[in-house]
Amino acid sequence: MARVYNWQLGREMAYWYPEARPRRQFAAVFDTNKCIACQTCTLACKTTWTSGKGQEYMLWNNVETKPYGSYPLAYDLRLLEMLNGQQWNGSRYTGQTIFESAPAGERVLGWRPEEQDFAYPNVGEDDCAGEVDGGKYLSLPHLNWFFYLARICNHCTYPACLASCPRGSIYKRPEDGIVLVDQGRCRGYQECVKGCPYKKVFFNPLTGTSEKCIACFPKIEQGIQPQCFVNCIGKIRLAGWISKPEQARADNPMDYLVHIKKVALPLFPQFGLEPNVYYIPPIHAPVSFNQQLFGPGAGEAMKTYRNAMHDPDLASLLCLFGSTELVVPRFRRQGDLAIGSDEKGAEIVRVPLREPVHVRPAFDAKNQLVRINCP
Amino acid sequence: MRHTVLIALLLAGGCARAPKPVSEVVAVSAIRLPASPADAAWDRAPEHIARMVPQDLVEPRLLTPSTPEVRVRALTDGAEICFRLEWEDATRSDTPGPSKMADACAVQIPEKIEKDLPEPQMGQDGKRVQVTYWRADWQATVDGRGDTIRDLYPNASIDHYPYDAKTIEGGDRARQEMALRYAPARALGNLRAGPRSQPVEDLIATGPGTLSPGPSLGAKGKGVYGRQRWSVLISRKLPDGLGVNQRTHVALAVWEGSQHETGARKMRTGWIPLVRRGE
Ligand code: SF4
Ligand code: SF4
Repeated sequence: MARVYNWQLGREMAYWYPEARPRRQFAAVFDTNKCIACQTCTLACKTTWTSGKGQEYMLWNNVETKPYGSYPLAYDLRLLEMLNGQQWNGSRYTGQTIFESAPAGERVLGWRPEEQDFAYPNVGEDDCAGEVDGGKYLSLPHLNWFFYLARICNHCTYPACLASCPRGSIYKRPEDGIVLVDQGRCRGYQECVKGCPYKKVFFNPLTGTSEKCIACFPKIEQGIQPQCFVNCIGKIRLAGWISKPEQARADNPMDYLVHIKKVALPLFPQFGLEPNVYYIPPIHAPVSFNQQLFGPGAGEAMKTYRNAMHDPDLASLLCLFGSTELVVPRFRRQGDLAIGSDEKGAEIVRVPLREPVHVRPAFDAKNQLVRINCP
Repeated sequence: MRHTVLIALLLAGGCARAPKPVSEVVAVSAIRLPASPADAAWDRAPEHIARMVPQDLVEPRLLTPSTPEVRVRALTDGAEICFRLEWEDATRSDTPGPSKMADACAVQIPEKIEKDLPEPQMGQDGKRVQVTYWRADWQATVDGRGDTIRDLYPNASIDHYPYDAKTIEGGDRARQEMALRYAPARALGNLRAGPRSQPVEDLIATGPGTLSPGPSLGAKGKGVYGRQRWSVLISRKLPDGLGVNQRTHVALAVWEGSQHETGARKMRTGWIPLVRRGE
């Protein structure tokens, strides 16, 4: 195995291949606080890419209710148990990644979901962390909580799917870091299904090959955000390009949220893949749970997000989520306006920080009628 | 089916007793190559019992040995060579799915007859090996089982496939083109992806991880499962230059689906001499 640097762990680690970062890396930020689990993203993906025979059970995008939801069943718990409670020392991970703890004869530490593990795509939906019966009533902060976690392939810097494939059928595109299964070369060994800790590769029983999220690369190549982004009802998603931490730019939305404000965090960084979908943690869930999912920075990220209303630059960037179909590689704030632009500064979109409020009196004098306040 | 086996056994036990196991694979000449593993013609071919070892040279390795041996016989009509591989297997694994691996076997022969053999594990650079690969799920498909979700899970409920919509213009052709867009491996011509007419595939390799479709050697196959054993015919073109009484080599592999064996996780043999006998 080679030695590579994983900035999410704050240290070097072992990986199957030497470090080979793409010229630019596709990345995304998902704001969990805004997701309403409408599953529009899931359907947008499904109808676009996985409506064929053999793809019925595939959800390249899924949205699960945490703490109990998972697809496939217990994908996260199974591996967390196998890793057996590892440690962080500040922002440095002192535990073992799935590459470092690969058993003898294996390329990574993984497990195989069985067919029944795919039988409950929305298990735990809207189940909260504790019971609310027995005379409990709503109080703040909520005693019980749940939140929605939307998941796609993380187009990892160190993909375990890629490392697991003995045939080299999975590749990471040097131009954008998107990880793809070569459908001409795959022979369906399902090693990637076993190896990906996020279980984002799916075996197609009809074609006998494994398939996964392609980050809608035909759209990305045209500067357009993927289907699950542009169809997101909650406007929780923003796609872009992430730099290495030392090259972070304050006007790059991904860099700003991930490296500068550190408000968006990777999912299960301890697995060691340097995943490139970053999450703004849910501010109403316990810090300890968020730390398990998003690493040691979760507490600070929650504080930063809570303070966003007093932080106009951060607030302006959050306003750009879901504001345009195009990828917005640069942003700036101009007074009360958030402006998204391309790399050369040409404006793509402008959004006011605060939408104007219109107060409509209940009695409409012009039409001599009383309006009631219903949709 | 049972009757055929019984008759074959009676024939084998009664009149044409199988020759003793031999230390190499001997391809005996036959006017017509049998289409069934139970054909009495197999009684004329001596049996070689090949011991198998786990593939433990490259990751992912097979650390727990499974199938200990495979019994192999061979016949040739001078144009093609047909092998019969038989091994014990208590579980028949012939449905594809997540975490479901199919029982399978393969015959590997050096592309050229040379003194220096290629690496027995999938060959090496400059020394290609030809691999003829059979799978139980392909056999089931060729034998008539469909390969859709409804065939595999009869109670599955499926809302709709977009290419089945009545409103699609352009008729069947447009539908097929649309369906292919949702089957990228087929669209790219990946032979692995079906649809299949044979349960076997012609492949070529120059080392672990290099297996790819090879020039057609006219591979055919037929696998039959019964009494907790697989009996599989694999035929292909006779190796180039293999005249009567001449030798090349063969290596075999077996995958036990119920043990999640697939790809590199397999039981294999080293090179075994393969000799072609005359009349
Ligand atoms: S479309 Fe957006 S809001 Fe709806 S479930 Fe998906 S991520 Fe959440
Ligand atoms: S999330 Fe899984 S499938 Fe996607 S790149 Fe990472 S390891 Fe591969």
